[in-house]
Amino acid sequence: MPVYERGYTHWEPSNRKSWPAWWIIAKRGIAQPFKSRWMIMLLVAAWIPTVIKAVVIWGKLKAGDLIDAFSGGWGSIDPQGFLVYLEQQRWSVFVVLAVVGAGLIATDRRDNGLSLYFSRPLGLRSYIGGKGAIILFYYFMVTLFPVYALCLFSYFIAPSATGMELLILTPLRVTVYCVLSGVGLSLILLAFSSMGTRSLFVMVWWTIMVMGTEALGNIAKGINSTSLQAVNFLGNFHNAGAALFSTGDRLAVPGWISLLIVLAMVGGAVAILRKRIRPVEVVS
Amino acid sequence: MEGLAIKVNRSDTSIKVSNLNFAYLRDPVLKGVDFTLETSAVGLLGPNGSGKTTLLRCLLGQVPLEKGQVQVLGHDMAAAARLARAGLGWMPERGGIIPGMSGVGLVAYLGELSGMPSRDAMQRAHEVLHFVGLADERYRKCDDYSQGMKQRLKLAQALVHDPHWIFLDEPTSGLDPRGRVSILELIRDLAWNKNMGVILSTHLLADVEAVCKEILVLKNGELLAREKVNPGGMEPLQVFEVEGFGNEEAFRAGLEAISENVTLEGRLMMVTLNLAGLKPTSAVADDGPEPFAAKVGVEAILKVAVAHDFALRRVRRRPVSLAEEFYKMVEV
Repeated sequence: MPVYERGYTHWEPSNRKSWPAWWIIAKRGIAQPFKSRWMIMLLVAAWIPTVIKAVVIWGKLKAGDLIDAFSGGWGSIDPQGFLVYLEQQRWSVFVVLAVVGAGLIATDRRDNGLSLYFSRPLGLRSYIGGKGAIILFYYFMVTLFPVYALCLFSYFIAPSATGMELLILTPLRVTVYCVLSGVGLSLILLAFSSMGTRSLFVMVWWTIMVMGTEALGNIAKGINSTSLQAVNFLGNFHNAGAALFSTGDRLAVPGWISLLIVLAMVGGAVAILRKRIRPVEVVS
Repeated sequence: MEGLAIKVNRSDTSIKVSNLNFAYLRDPVLKGVDFTLETSAVGLLGPNGSGKTTLLRCLLGQVPLEKGQVQVLGHDMAAAARLARAGLGWMPERGGIIPGMSGVGLVAYLGELSGMPSRDAMQRAHEVLHFVGLADERYRKCDDYSQGMKQRLKLAQALVHDPHWIFLDEPTSGLDPRGRVSILELIRDLAWNKNMGVILSTHLLADVEAVCKEILVLKNGELLAREKVNPGGMEPLQVFEVEGFGNEEAFRAGLEAISENVTLEGRLMMVTLNLAGLKPTSAVADDGPEPFAAKVGVEAILKVAVAHDFALRRVRRRPVSLAEEFYKMVEV
């Protein structure tokens, strides 16, 4: 009998496994940007520094100090070198996260999607967890995964003495750093996204947060103002994580102060998310 | 983690609301609302700002309950709203579409979020889209849907997980007359033939008459009345329209003897009968209230017509419109 002649039929639950709500949200949110040619090009562009670093590492190992003299630290495969690499990736992080994350909650608020989500057996944590996992995945795409690739590449071409560091310790340091900073960045970007109903509005605030504070931090550096350097948004993440890479502070302020600033921002973001994410309809 | 759909309490399908109070900031929206519903088709009526949508949100557990208790499908909505929501469908008035997705993608996605396995959700999405008449459009992006198609899509997403109750907020909003009739037929089919509870919040009284078995009337956040949808059907005083030819004077005198009042409106005699004083015959006694009221009155008028040799062309109980009753209740 054709389906259209059956009218409404009741659903008979099967024994198949159903997935947690956060995973369902994350899965869709991760797949969606890959449908855009521009997003794929952006990700490819974000990997260009990784390819350059790989070439420099290869050149350094083959041609020794000659390449190292010109590479400005790009050929370094010690933990500090990877922290420098992560700092260099901040522009990719800024752009990719802005494109992926700005509209995640803003669009739901604009189209009253929240009302749909919270009419399902879904809690606030699952919703934020799912949306945050999308940002986290793309953050890893431009930070953690390239470092894994570089470590693996270096392991195959580097002297065997560095194998332990390249295969276990460095990936571990980078993983801990990327997970912690990625969760923090995800929550902060989601908080921005929850404050508006337009992606553009969120992007503007994200730009001010990342580029504006970095510019302010650089001005502070120029006029030798130590405390003002702490306004550098992404700089605080790198500074707080420097201890993980056994390296000195990246800003003029101590790492623990940066850590406190990051924790305060994350706490503020959580408070905003709890306040803003409600299944209320927005009358436009 | 297993889906939540299987955890829904299937034995208790009622909605119990007791002394429900709710306020946005300091502005009270619901005041001491009390009712219990078993699976039925219920119309939620009230003027603008009477608290209809807020009441639906309370039933969905979407707003924190300040005072009172809401129990849906056996779950206390203050503590276990998520479990109850697995058995509830929600069709919001505004929005309710996630842009960038195809119709079938959206419905399957929301089915999965309701705790359905992904293959079941996709299969079921196809079925409900067929049911609402969007089979041919299911692969189109829902952003490009017309208003009527969006309403159907919203109904489909509310049905995908086969809920016990569906809450519909202005489901015919923005639809042309044909689309309106079509979506009301679907909702009526669910409520009357598929044993699904329906709460229909709307301003359109005709929609309620077409679909619902009973109505809840809210005004200023208070539950003003709970009525069956055949308004006036149980009232003792009923007005009948009578038309015919013969000895009109004698017939009218005969009617006046058994009725409260007889007036003329053009060629129609308007006969007000007090049904409480009339004895039904056994043939009509076992019918429901609406046929009983109509038949007892018609039977009495027929007897008078036969006695006075009056040929009847038309006898019928004048329908009392829901609008009339509603406006009387809310004093608009």
